[in-house]
Amino acid sequence: MSDFANQVERLRPQLLRFARTQLRNDAWAEDAVSETVLAALERPGSFTGQSHLKTWLVGILKHKVVDQLRRHTREATVLMGEDDEDFDEALFQADGHWRDMPRDWGDPDAACSQRQFFEVLQACCEGLPPVQARVFMMREWLELEADEICSELEITSSNLWVLLHRARLRLRDCLQVRWFDSAVTR
Amino acid sequence: MKNSLTCREATRLLLEDEDRELTTSERLELQVHVKICFACQRFVAQLNLMRRATRAWRKHSDGDSET
Repeated sequence: MSDFANQVERLRPQLLRFARTQLRNDAWAEDAVSETVLAALERPGSFTGQSHLKTWLVGILKHKVVDQLRRHTREATVLMGEDDEDFDEALFQADGHWRDMPRDWGDPDAACSQRQFFEVLQACCEGLPPVQARVFMMREWLELEADEICSELEITSSNLWVLLHRARLRLRDCLQVRWFDSAVTR
Repeated sequence: MKNSLTCREATRLLLEDEDRELTTSERLELQVHVKICFACQRFVAQLNLMRRATRAWRKHSDGDSET
């Protein structure tokens, strides 16, 4: 195997992890990563070496992930009713007030400068229900606009907002429990 | 006069603000609510942290770090 092929192969597990978080389906994730590796090996010359190899591969992977979602549109969104109807109920009283005061998370830089924080964030994303995870990752990681996500997944914009709303509240809850509440023991 | 927003409604608008352009009147109502509501100010700070964190995470996983 060439040196280039070796380097690409070494990054495969990391690519697979991202693809899995994104697609929430192992077979699709494997396909997206294989297509990425193949594309890289077919055109090694297009890697100019100005960015990290990983950055370049992730750039390709993003397109392959969107291709997979496009290919599996129906299956990707069939679980619209996956979530308990109202996560909001747990957060708010009947009169619309917060049940519990949102906590002070302190200085954002303090959290963002810690490597383990990203591990927790990724684990929290992996813990989202699959459709919520997909739309959240499309929005935040693939940086797609809301209307692009709606057309890729064939959902309405109000469906999308509901999904993103739930995803963000769940992430908030997860970060509270898995990062901020456990700060004392860290 | 219209009733002012509840925390629950304010939270919904704050979250939608991440993904769509709020209307002028939504934005105004929201600003008024957040100005007087300490709990929602906390929530705004949490959202800001999450936004910063996802941006940093994206850079991190796009390969800006070597791992």
